[in-house]
Amino acid sequence: MEWGILRGRAIWIFSEPNFDVDRIVGVAHMTTTRVEELVRVCMRDFDATFPDHVQPNDLLIGGDNFGYGHPHYQAMIAMRAMGIVGVVAESFAPDFLRGEAAAGFPLVMCAGILQGVTRFDVLEVDWRSALVRNVTRNTELRGTPLPAHLADMIAAGGLLPHLQRRRSTRRWAPGPR
Amino acid sequence: MSDQVLSRQTLAQKILARAAGVAAVAPGTRLRVKPRFVLAYDFPGILEPLFEQLGTEFGLARMPDPDRYALFIDHMVPAQKPSEEQVHQVTRSWASANGVRLHEGDGIGHQVAAEKGYGLPGALVVHFDRHVSALGAFGALALGIRRQILEAFAFDSVDMEVPGSMRATLHGRPRPGVMARDLFNHLVLRLGPGGCRGHVLELDGPAVAALTIGERMTLCGLATFTGAISAIVAADDVACEWVRRRTAEPFEPLFSDADADYAEVHDIDISDIPPYVVVPPSPANVVPVGAVLGRPADQGYIGSCVSGRLEDLRAAAHVLRGRRIAPGFRLNVVPTSRELMGAAAREGLLEVLVEAGAFVSSPSCDYCFGHIQALAAGQTAVSTGPLNVPGRMGSADAHVYIASAATVAATALAGRIADPTPFFARA
Repeated sequence: MEWGILRGRAIWIFSEPNFDVDRIVGVAHMTTTRVEELVRVCMRDFDATFPDHVQPNDLLIGGDNFGYGHPHYQAMIAMRAMGIVGVVAESFAPDFLRGEAAAGFPLVMCAGILQGVTRFDVLEVDWRSALVRNVTRNTELRGTPLPAHLADMIAAGGLLPHLQRRRSTRRWAPGPR
Repeated sequence: MSDQVLSRQTLAQKILARAAGVAAVAPGTRLRVKPRFVLAYDFPGILEPLFEQLGTEFGLARMPDPDRYALFIDHMVPAQKPSEEQVHQVTRSWASANGVRLHEGDGIGHQVAAEKGYGLPGALVVHFDRHVSALGAFGALALGIRRQILEAFAFDSVDMEVPGSMRATLHGRPRPGVMARDLFNHLVLRLGPGGCRGHVLELDGPAVAALTIGERMTLCGLATFTGAISAIVAADDVACEWVRRRTAEPFEPLFSDADADYAEVHDIDISDIPPYVVVPPSPANVVPVGAVLGRPADQGYIGSCVSGRLEDLRAAAHVLRGRRIAPGFRLNVVPTSRELMGAAAREGLLEVLVEAGAFVSSPSCDYCFGHIQALAAGQTAVSTGPLNVPGRMGSADAHVYIASAATVAATALAGRIADPTPFFARA
């Protein structure tokens, strides 16, 4: 994953601002832990055939403040299980950003993405530098890179490997003096 | 770093600089900070794996520096099933083995944290839960860092990016019957549900200075619904005195520089704002109560980490005194802590509420998330809790409206959403 380029289709566009991701699996499943069950109910309220369309490496597109509310982990657990590898959104709610970075899930903040993509366009995303290339349209958008500690967390594959690295290196990231 | 940045620090920047042991910090900089306190409540799937990982992944047989940590048992209280009690048992035995303070039976953690003095002015406090931002009422910077709480247990410090700050200065005096919850909802309307995204929201001005500690906790505790990562009110004499009565811990308040650099500054007059109602399915849907007057409701809830304090119980008692709630309506009143419940009893508030027909319960988080008294499909609740997404208080096909304690009480009398201000009209 480190320095990885994501290449996949924009499999769904959540254009509405302040989108509450709990709606993806439905709030009735906020305590569901079985991944197969989460996949089964995923996107049922939007398009019941969604799981049939997803291919490995597909990407989600989000609007402004994507992940607003009390974002639970179930929605993206289901998405990852289906093969989704990242989200490109206009912007993310801070809680969602922090929670999914801890899961090692690439997120790209990219103002203009809603205008810059149509469903099923193929995107090539350098998540670390937030460079989003729309291969279908042959256009390019430059987003805002994530805060460094969250990017490192994603690059490491999630919070736990990230912290194990911190433990083994005792690397000190100095603040300004 | 330039001298200009050094001298233009916001309160949040100063707290983070102190927690990092540096003179000043600039927004966007990566920083390693040592929180003064690390807080967490027990919940299935959160603390138990964390305790395990501390041993298996980080080789911690026992917590170093246990006085910096505190745990709370406030969800699943009282336990309804042996499996819930088992979750609490794991927490109790880990706390005991590690010499970490555990607060159980005292009330909802974010309130108890204030009562125990963890919200020290000028201190950095972390929790996994975002509503810990309520401790911003004391001029502490309290951040909900979700799963990264593991880092705060496994190490003495956590990595973060210094957030920018926004300032909202509140002027004016709210109309009688308009509560702190309405002030917050007005902020959501004015600033937008993502308006403060990623920033710390600093609140000041005469209207904030006039607020009680409980009201400031309500405002700060809801910060996440403006997109802010926390909210903070610089500690004044009222806040410092409140904290000094609770703890012998020394503290040194911090204040923003006069020319501090804010990403945005807002001046907001609250003189004429109405009571607001937040309409399902999102905390972003704020409307004046007038827009939803008369909608039938089955259940009311006064409580949670962002309500259920004396100010809220007094407002409810004021509305309900000598009256009876509508037939068939269920009103649950849950004081936020044992201390508050005792105070409400001494003031005679509980008597008024009970005689009006309210079901008064000991402190617990469980009403807020439908763990108890769950709504059935098609039912409607009016709640002072933080959140109204479908399923928050039971069935995903039930409806949750969010409002102040006064509005919930007025609704309980009518059995329909009602405007509380007539009950508070000045004679």
